[in-house]
Amino acid sequence: MTMGVHEIEDAKLIFNFGYNGADSHPIVQRRIVRAKQKGATIICADPRVTECARIADVHMQLKGGTNIALVNAMCNVVYNEGLVDQKFIDEKTVDYDAFVEVIKKYTPEYAETICHVPAETIRKAARMYAKAPSAMILYGMGVCQFGQAVDVVKALGSLALMTGNYGKPASGIGPVRGQNNVQGACDMGALPNNYPGYQNVTKPEIQEKFEKAWGVKLSNKVGVPLTHVPQRVLEEKDPKKQLHAYYIFGEDPVQSDPDAEEVREALEKLDFVVVQDIFMNKTAEFADVILPGTSWNEHDGVYSCCDRGFQRIRKVLEPPKGVKLDWEIICEISTAMGYKMKYKNTEEIWNELIDLCPNFAGATYAKLEKYGNIQWPCRSKDDSDKGTVVLHQGKFANPDGKGKFYTADWRPPQELENEEYPLSLSTVREVGHYSVRTMTGNCRTLRNLEDEPGWIQMNPADCEKLGIKHGDLVKVVNKRGWCITRCNATERVAKGATYMTYQWWIGCCNELTIGSNLDPVSNTPEYKYCNCRVEKLDDQAKAWEYVNTEYKSIRERMGIKMVGKEAV
Amino acid sequence: MRQFVKGNPDLCIGCRTCMIGCVVEHEGRRIFEIDPDGYDFNPKLHVVKTAKVSVPVQCKHCENPACMAACPVGCIKVINDAVVIDQKECIGCKSCMQACPFGVIDVISQVGTSQSDGSKRVVANKCDLCVGTGNGPACVRVCPTEALKLVSEEAMQESVQKKRVATAEAAKAIADAMAD
Repeated sequence: MTMGVHEIEDAKLIFNFGYNGADSHPIVQRRIVRAKQKGATIICADPRVTECARIADVHMQLKGGTNIALVNAMCNVVYNEGLVDQKFIDEKTVDYDAFVEVIKKYTPEYAETICHVPAETIRKAARMYAKAPSAMILYGMGVCQFGQAVDVVKALGSLALMTGNYGKPASGIGPVRGQNNVQGACDMGALPNNYPGYQNVTKPEIQEKFEKAWGVKLSNKVGVPLTHVPQRVLEEKDPKKQLHAYYIFGEDPVQSDPDAEEVREALEKLDFVVVQDIFMNKTAEFADVILPGTSWNEHDGVYSCCDRGFQRIRKVLEPPKGVKLDWEIICEISTAMGYKMKYKNTEEIWNELIDLCPNFAGATYAKLEKYGNIQWPCRSKDDSDKGTVVLHQGKFANPDGKGKFYTADWRPPQELENEEYPLSLSTVREVGHYSVRTMTGNCRTLRNLEDEPGWIQMNPADCEKLGIKHGDLVKVVNKRGWCITRCNATERVAKGATYMTYQWWIGCCNELTIGSNLDPVSNTPEYKYCNCRVEKLDDQAKAWEYVNTEYKSIRERMGIKMVGKEAV
Repeated sequence: MRQFVKGNPDLCIGCRTCMIGCVVEHEGRRIFEIDPDGYDFNPKLHVVKTAKVSVPVQCKHCENPACMAACPVGCIKVINDAVVIDQKECIGCKSCMQACPFGVIDVISQVGTSQSDGSKRVVANKCDLCVGTGNGPACVRVCPTEALKLVSEEAMQESVQKKRVATAEAAKAIADAMAD
């Protein structure tokens, strides 16, 4: 994020694009609600009537998979109606002309034919955004989980550039990142191409710095992205490029990755699988070795918030007997593999890390303790450097200091609706259940609110056509797989589109999602678009019997102790 | 005038924390310790989501409660100025459920109880303003967006007084306009 999460409350205008805070991050949504109460204008682009869409001044209910057409059309309006910040463009940006060439074609009328948002609504939203004294863009997985995702991020960034919405309070662009500390995972270099602090593994001077610090020879080759794993196991012919072993840490790819059947095949074929997690899960069923890890309240550490804010976390519970801390496990594995890794505590690890990352260098434990939250860049250990709330003040992070315009032509999603599979399917989130159900599925009150086999959200007109009612069990199927779930008839979704949350073991939509259409830059899969068919199940009693038997069997496999009526 | 809890759809984000807060308040902390079948999950308020609105709905604690009038065994009582169902006396006849114009009464099966055929007792269930807990309504306390408010007599009077003043001022404005 170029801003701080706390700034959301002070926004004059929030353009919320493909981000459903109420379900993903209720505490961020609270800030959006407060901003609205304080008079902020809210524009929401989402194919569903989300809680944010409901309180928005303008809701653009676009068809899924058409994001960039809508953004280009908004840019087109801003350009054609002379609403640009020309001074900002002239002084602080490059590549404007090439960008304008692309957006010229995207008149609101043309975009309407692609994204089904009325041209006048697009005009209204574009004018509101451009005329606001400062405007903030928040986006989420509704932008990122498409085959064309990074293009849309850049197009949204360009909309902010052409209106001069950077470098000032409560402006800029914010990916409200999906999971707790996913920003931290990236910051710490848990990416195939970076060391900690976004330092590229292919740069010789960076390689040399880390080799010197660690006293070991390091590779200058980019690693394998998570989403390439199945292909590198199942299809790669070159034995040198094939994957043979897989160490999975705090992740359940069988549940969370697209095309679950393909993931299972890959795990089956791998020679060696290690899983480090706090509970048994579907992926751990394929593990040769399971390393029991510690949960968030059983160890110390630092989390990064989506706005680059580092915060300390502290141990409040003793881990179960015999369970080692995650960082101790990593140290022991490393030592066993020939590199002696030894630390006394997390502060010692942190100190080594910040000294190797110029952007984090000033974020010492002492300062985190004192200020609670430090947003990087924080480059100086001097107490006066309290981090950076607003990025790109004065100049941008590119080597020439300029903001770079970019957009692209719209590409449709890979797998469209057809006669056999007439509906679209998108994965979404629901409040109460976090990510896969490893943690929240074990919380009894959250299970009381929502439990297996989950729901498929459908427009009532589509339900009527199929002769199904709200609450009926249905079969959702496409060429990759199927699952059983309940029908949620709701006018919050458009005709022809369906939505499922991805954490359920039985109502498992990742049996259907598509793993082959990755964004070429981010390698993120197209979780937000594939086709499907919903089938009515005439024998509901039999279907419920299937659900209950299956649930019991999975819980047994997961080692969940069942008592009382559940044990029967 | 009786107090009641009112939800604000402009603030509600549909998260249902209020429903969990309600159950935990009425079951107590034991909910986290006992066997999963040792309690029933019976919130006394419900978040309703339609195309246009998300908001919790619960009992309005009417001054002349239709539920109370409909109850054949007199188990709906006023306790500490809240309209409360005495679930020990309830016969589960559903009259109150039908009588309530707001749809805020449920019938629920009660854990740990049994009737003559051995099945669990089924009784009426609705908001009791957490009467007797000494903490005030749990839903109001736990709501992350402060979308729930306990509306007191004073708050009602104040709001009505403001509206009266506005009406009076509007009358003056209309009279002035007509005089022109």
